[in-house]
Amino acid sequence: MTRRVAVTGIGVVAPGGTGAKAFWDLLAAGRTATRGITLFDPEGLRSRIAAECDFDPLEHGLDPELSRHADRYIQFAVVAAGEAVRDSGFDVGQENPWRVGVCLGSAVGGTTRLEHDYVLVSEGGRRWDVDHRTADPQLHLAFSPSTLASVVAAQFGAQGPVQTVSTGCTSGLDAVGYAFHTIEEGRADVCITGASDSPISPITMACFDAIKATSPNNDDPEHASRPFDANRNGFVMGEGAAVLVLEEYEHARARGAHIYCEIGGYATYGNAYHMTGLTSEGLEMSRAIDGTLDQARLDPTLIDYVNAHGSGTRQNDRHETAAVKQSLGEHAYKTPMSSIKSMVGHSLGAIGAIEVVACVLALKHQAVPPTANYETPDPECDLDYVPRTARPRKLRNVLSVGSGFGGFQSAVLLTGPGGRTR
Amino acid sequence: MITTEVTVDELAALMKKAAGITVDPKELAQSLDAPFGTLGLDSLALLGIVGELENRYSRPLPPDAERCKTPREFLDLVNDTLKAGA
Amino acid sequence: MSTQRPRRAVVTGIGVIAPNGLRADAYWKSVREGLGVLDRITREGCEHLPLRVAGEVRAFDAADLIEERFLVQTDRFSHFAMAATVLALDDAGLGAVDPEEAYDIGVVTAAGSGGGEFGQRELQKLWGQGSRFVGPYQSIAWFYAASTGQISIRGGFKGPCGVVASDEAGGLDAIAHAARGVRRGTAAMVVGAAEAPLAPYSMVCQLAYPELSTVEDPDRAYRPFTKGACGFVPAEGGAMLVVEDERRARDRGAAVRAVVAGHAATFTGASQWERSREGLAHAIRGALAEADCAPEEIDVVFADALGVPAADRAEALAIADALGAHGTRVPVTAPKTGIGRAYCGAPLLDTAAAVLAMEHGQIPPTPNVFDICHDLDVVTSNARPAELRTALILSRGLMGSNAALVVRRGGDLAR
Repeated sequence: MTRRVAVTGIGVVAPGGTGAKAFWDLLAAGRTATRGITLFDPEGLRSRIAAECDFDPLEHGLDPELSRHADRYIQFAVVAAGEAVRDSGFDVGQENPWRVGVCLGSAVGGTTRLEHDYVLVSEGGRRWDVDHRTADPQLHLAFSPSTLASVVAAQFGAQGPVQTVSTGCTSGLDAVGYAFHTIEEGRADVCITGASDSPISPITMACFDAIKATSPNNDDPEHASRPFDANRNGFVMGEGAAVLVLEEYEHARARGAHIYCEIGGYATYGNAYHMTGLTSEGLEMSRAIDGTLDQARLDPTLIDYVNAHGSGTRQNDRHETAAVKQSLGEHAYKTPMSSIKSMVGHSLGAIGAIEVVACVLALKHQAVPPTANYETPDPECDLDYVPRTARPRKLRNVLSVGSGFGGFQSAVLLTGPGGRTR
Repeated sequence: MITTEVTVDELAALMKKAAGITVDPKELAQSLDAPFGTLGLDSLALLGIVGELENRYSRPLPPDAERCKTPREFLDLVNDTLKAGA
Repeated sequence: MSTQRPRRAVVTGIGVIAPNGLRADAYWKSVREGLGVLDRITREGCEHLPLRVAGEVRAFDAADLIEERFLVQTDRFSHFAMAATVLALDDAGLGAVDPEEAYDIGVVTAAGSGGGEFGQRELQKLWGQGSRFVGPYQSIAWFYAASTGQISIRGGFKGPCGVVASDEAGGLDAIAHAARGVRRGTAAMVVGAAEAPLAPYSMVCQLAYPELSTVEDPDRAYRPFTKGACGFVPAEGGAMLVVEDERRARDRGAAVRAVVAGHAATFTGASQWERSREGLAHAIRGALAEADCAPEEIDVVFADALGVPAADRAEALAIADALGAHGTRVPVTAPKTGIGRAYCGAPLLDTAAAVLAMEHGQIPPTPNVFDICHDLDVVTSNARPAELRTALILSRGLMGSNAALVVRRGGDLAR
């Protein structure tokens, strides 16, 4: 018998507000959280804007040790996981800890800390033979990407499969997908999943400058992230985390948990095309969508909303518009498709999980979040992108899709109450 | 004042350095109208070459530089820009 | 009507880039002979660091196997992974991918520290010269997904692509991920891990590991299960495997080298080595259960062998806890004492060694280890001939993960 997988808790740290409520308020209002970078002095960079989190770890109850020493992206994850676990009412102390897993994504992990300390040990970039004597004794925690899942597992007492996923900008979607498979295949009953990244640092901004992927719209940061708009000019960097508690359906029912929705399917494919480039046909993303729907045995005409990758680069927007048309056919034109990156920026690996949580909230509130800043239609992108204001809508089956450097194309299906219509 | 002309030889050297593509300068001179793609040079590699030249000559190249389709188009644009700014 | 047997994931190709050998056959020869290759680190800019000994991959020229246009845009860790992939595909007899079949072949790698050397070079340009000097490949070379992406692109593999990380144990998780992908319907997965942690800044980061051995005598630096245990020695390199649906492998006449039979993973906390006893035992039981394998069927154990006394003790006890009386009789080996721990590449090298050991009927020895102070039958000095049908591979991550993998000999399957 197939094990069903329920979402029983959510937590989020996003630009514009911490916590699921603040996050949804931002999306529902169509407000943008993009601004000039304050986390470091961006002088000299081509793109000097980002969607930053106003985040005080102590205010969110993070223990003082983690507040002082842990990397920012770890702090985001622990705070979001705390919210999600509380929300689910799940108490690991009452459970078999070997049946509780953690699966969290991050694209760049401890890069920000690594860069910070690199500057110290290299005399500001002057030495190749760096000086270990001035290095932070905790530097290994930034060196290894698995620190993310490990710290969260230790915080919440998980002893089952604990894994970090790092598939670039689909890390968040893939982490949720892997966690879904982990429960479906019976390797755990509960899995704390999601993703976190804090990539707003000189090296990460500079490396996207170098390929002109980020928006140089420094004079008008609030309107810089313009997915699907004809006047888009690149993505706006973001940061944050989102965490979900996934649970085997009967396990959740047995303890009387509130069930937001179910994970209906997940699939991922590679485009085997280019590390950063996307085709204008989007066949591989379409394949991921098809695979996801196949798993749920769901007809594409039953999709009520597509949460787009919508990064705001021309090639992405064309690619994914084509992919959704390929998979949904004529139904694509009747299906709202929006990008919340217009409001919270593109937090690399984290965003996929943040977008899945946006879908959970969309199902909860029966409303589609908008694409902010969408003003001028692009003839190459002719779907309904939900311009500027959220839209009430009956939602049962919603799809979140993403693309990442390395060619990753992933899709996750969420089915709300009444959504399991074959 | 040093010359600001980027030659075919220099372009060949840049293609080797930035894209790992070995091309004989003589052959490159014969195929200046061949699309970069057929020479194995993709968009990232061209961005790398543009960045290298910008740093070498300490001046920005126009955004069209990274959109050039052929070596001739690229060399013409780059050299016109460098001459204009000399 | 016949009942369909569940799909079985088998190993059909092995590619190795290791400090002791640059191909599976060369690697096996060194492993079987117990050759120790730990030596002074010679990578540029590392001479002054208080970590002097490691397992370096030397005489490796990636250009022998990989086009230069891929090499300029990738770090050494991806060079290793791409080269090992070429060798594994060649070993499996898989040539250029048929476009019709592109979606049937996926790629999964375990990630450790990513492209540290490449990243350090670009950090130096950024901070030493300015942001305009950061090149276009920094965005695709440093991050943990670089190897999976490049392998997928170079090979034309459009199947499920993934990247997992659990430190060392992540290597076994990746193999299990690939096997599950095959069981879920993907025809073949290219899977593995390779690491290149011997760059100056990467080494500074590793110096923070309390488990790291900084002993300067290569013969004494990494001696797990002995009274001289003083931590682990790092290494670079790794291995890639082709894991394939058994039926497909047989249909195309490929040699079935081994079956990926069972896996389980647990978590007991970073540096909580005493607790890893329980976690590792739990993982072993889970892997045996998935493989439908009795403890007595395990013919050899490839140990994690961290070389930290508390961790060695925990591992010895975990083997006894999970395998019962058989745990003190089953031969245990750790070829990695001759080459160092290549982080998540290490369990890939161990799995390659396990498959080769089963094929050759020989258990390779544990170099530099003689005076065992635990109740284990550790194979030392020379390879031990044995009929090997089933091997158990163990791995623990420095951040607290434990994993176990059961592989069975390929030739034993009913045709």
